[in-house]
Amino acid sequence: MAADDRRNGDLTNHNHRDPKKPRLSEFLTESDIRSEFAHHQTGVARVNNGSFGCCPSSVLDAQREWQLRFLRQPDEFYFNGLRRGLLASRTVISSLINADDVDEVSLVDNATTAAAIVLQRVGRCFSEGKYQKEDTVVMFHCAFQSVKKSIQAYVTRVGGSTVEVRLPFPVSSNDEIVSAFREGLKKGRANGRAVRLAIIDHITSMPCVLMPVRELVNVCREEGVEEVFVDAAHAIGSVKVDVKEIGADYYVSNLHKWFFCPPSIAFFYCKKRSSELDVHHPVVSHEFGNGLAIESAWIGTRDYSSQLVVPSVMEFVKRFEGGIDGIMERNHDEAVRMGLMLCNAWGTNLGSPPEMCVGMVMIGLPSKLCVESDEDAVKLRSYLRVHRLVEVPVYFLGLRDGEEGVRDKDSGVITAYVRISRQVYNETEDYERLRDAITELVKDQMTCQNLPPV
Amino acid sequence: MASLSPPEEAAASSYHHRRSKRYSSSTTNGVSAETVPDKRHKISLPPPPPSSSSSNFISLSEIEAEFSHHDPAFARINNGSFGCCPSSVVAVQRDWQLRFLRQPDRFFFDELKPNISASRAAIRRLINAEHEDEVSIVDNATTAAAIVLQQTAWAFREGRFDRGDAVVMLHYAFGSVKKSVEAYVSRSGGEVIEVQLPFPVISAEEIINRFRTGLELGKANGRRVRLALIDHVTSMPSVVIPIRELVKICREEGVDQVFVDAAHGIGCVDVDMKEIGADFYTSNLHKWFFAPPSVAFLYCRRSGGGNNLHHPVVSHEYGNGLAVESTWVGTRDYSAQLVVPSILEFVNRFEGGIDGIKKKNHESVVEMGEMLVKSWGTQLGCPPEMCASMVMVGLPVCLGVSSESDAVRLRNLLRERFCIEIPTYFRAPGEGETDSITGYVRISFQVYNKPEEYHRLRDAVNELVRDGFKCTSLTD
Repeated sequence: MAADDRRNGDLTNHNHRDPKKPRLSEFLTESDIRSEFAHHQTGVARVNNGSFGCCPSSVLDAQREWQLRFLRQPDEFYFNGLRRGLLASRTVISSLINADDVDEVSLVDNATTAAAIVLQRVGRCFSEGKYQKEDTVVMFHCAFQSVKKSIQAYVTRVGGSTVEVRLPFPVSSNDEIVSAFREGLKKGRANGRAVRLAIIDHITSMPCVLMPVRELVNVCREEGVEEVFVDAAHAIGSVKVDVKEIGADYYVSNLHKWFFCPPSIAFFYCKKRSSELDVHHPVVSHEFGNGLAIESAWIGTRDYSSQLVVPSVMEFVKRFEGGIDGIMERNHDEAVRMGLMLCNAWGTNLGSPPEMCVGMVMIGLPSKLCVESDEDAVKLRSYLRVHRLVEVPVYFLGLRDGEEGVRDKDSGVITAYVRISRQVYNETEDYERLRDAITELVKDQMTCQNLPPV
Repeated sequence: MASLSPPEEAAASSYHHRRSKRYSSSTTNGVSAETVPDKRHKISLPPPPPSSSSSNFISLSEIEAEFSHHDPAFARINNGSFGCCPSSVVAVQRDWQLRFLRQPDRFFFDELKPNISASRAAIRRLINAEHEDEVSIVDNATTAAAIVLQQTAWAFREGRFDRGDAVVMLHYAFGSVKKSVEAYVSRSGGEVIEVQLPFPVISAEEIINRFRTGLELGKANGRRVRLALIDHVTSMPSVVIPIRELVKICREEGVDQVFVDAAHGIGCVDVDMKEIGADFYTSNLHKWFFAPPSVAFLYCRRSGGGNNLHHPVVSHEYGNGLAVESTWVGTRDYSAQLVVPSILEFVNRFEGGIDGIKKKNHESVVEMGEMLVKSWGTQLGCPPEMCASMVMVGLPVCLGVSSESDAVRLRNLLRERFCIEIPTYFRAPGEGETDSITGYVRISFQVYNKPEEYHRLRDAVNELVRDGFKCTSLTD
């Protein structure tokens, strides 16, 4: 207690405040952070923040209050509280991402929903004759599987065609990606077709790479692409997001991945146009026609509480040095440091250079593990989860004909990568557990073919 | 409030399911409260509040405890709009939320799907559907409507339906559903026919006759009626529609598909899919079936072309059937969808289970409605047999409700001055009508309601009448 007093610069503490209660102006200590994430399962090396994110107890408490408010008197909440609360969240986000107008910012469940909204619109343009059959949608081959299915459901079904650009991986520079993309756009325009939509990930999921999204959007504008949709599921809380600078028509990012919100909430930015934008939420309510932001604010009776806690999240991140920027920087630096530790220990490589990583890094797995298929990757992942209490996604890199691939220290070809994430709750031991699990498998001459069943 | 520290877990990861000996162990409607075959995935309910009652059934004070989170200042007689959720079920939901937060990957890979299946299995039995494939879980009836109407829109766009073919719906269909019809059907070339229904309603025959006329209009000039969209219980004004008869008429008249919007279905009226015979049927569970917001089912009869339906939020499950598609629409909080087996435990604490609750709600709401009618000198909006757990009650004419905005402002007044939560309805006078009742309230009755709440409403309105109150005096 005395130590606290001295730190507060006041030896004679007339303030009878409970010394255990942290001042809001003090930053969170390591033990505060552990307490905020005490609900995480102990004993698990949870190095996969990228998939499902995390939510600190202070924010969960704020969410509970919103939920209770609804349960207590739902009509009053609906008429007097909900819209104001949603607008407060949207306003915070709008300023974070440098949008011109809060009207450009809608809240939806997740990036998957935003993709459906964009692709439904594109589909309507085909159906209603605005786009010609065979006009194209261009995307990277590693675009999220849900997005690809959404294209099938809404675009291919009505006669649109697709061009997939293979993302070079492992990758060493932005130029590799930009050239590949330019080639893809050329293909999309071949035979007099028009490229109606380009889908660009800000941060690809698997394999995980920070993409040169500004350059790619510029290329799209140069090459006459009609609209650009940036799928930035991982972006906010990972990397600085300035939607004006990026210049896309549509931009979506999940807040429950890297921005400490509970499942689920995403913001969906639609750049204002001179004419009315024909985007609609697919779940149509009485707000239909009042603009996407208003439509999305009511899609029937739901639990909207996860969309209401954004101001509380801002309070939480302010308790870190440098706020969200500080968090992003430290996550990146630690992830890279841990990534280098692992690839040195395993004699492998990083999937991309540090400047093309965020709080996630791809690290090559030793060739001796013999990951030869997607199924092997899943098997290895399950083994790690069940037998080693390590949660980490595994990526199988299928080499194409003629590709040489990268070799590890045993001169075997690296066919698989793990994607490690680093968030504020992670500790060095988490990555050491992963390191040792893999090292031991190799030492025991285990391969994906002889892993014990889970 | 559930603690945030990890729940106690035995080494073998098995959860002990505790059941109070006081819980009724009988089955209701053939549905046993024990629906999850694998106990490893079952979460135990928190201990029931202590009771001195020797009865096997839930006591009044236990009910009060279950709903103690409701605002005590309010006469909450509007269960119809947003429903309710007892604390035992809220607690189970919290458990599910914590399981995700604890280790989300494992939850996603190992626990989510089997437990959604358990909910779907429970619903299948409750609604007497033939097969689990026919039962999809979605957020709410609004989502279900988008799913069905999107399918209709595709048929128009892809030329399976001719431009101008009709979709027939009730004039009293829910506002969101009407907009959905506009967004999907009108936009893709379908013609929308609205069937005007009388209100107040004297008999089911009136509705049946008007509906027949509406269908004839739909078929005029050789058109086909591709979809009939019928409410099981209309929202505003609220009336139980004779849907079995209407579905039969649709079949007789060659309507392609029948979609029943039963937002107020399960826990309010009898929902037997085989008996009702519709192609699509949706109902919210968070209105009358004690679920937290939000969860609904969409039933799609196998033979009714159900393979064509897709969830509009497309995920990697696309093409695996609507039920499977709906189990994953991206990262979400699915906890409300996982508590259905726990709800069965709750309702089985009541005598007669959900049927007993329905019966008592109906009797009570009629009793309260008639009490109000007597005191105000007005009338009910329909005969007692055409209401379930909600009823429309006429407001005294002298209040002068002369527009929809009058009705809204009166509602606000009741909320703000009298702490009464009740939706109001403006019924425009018909041609030649003088001194007709133009304002109605819709009262609901659910297990937590008490006669005092309706007395408060009675007295508030009488006070307004005594004061010579007129709606024209209200400003926004």
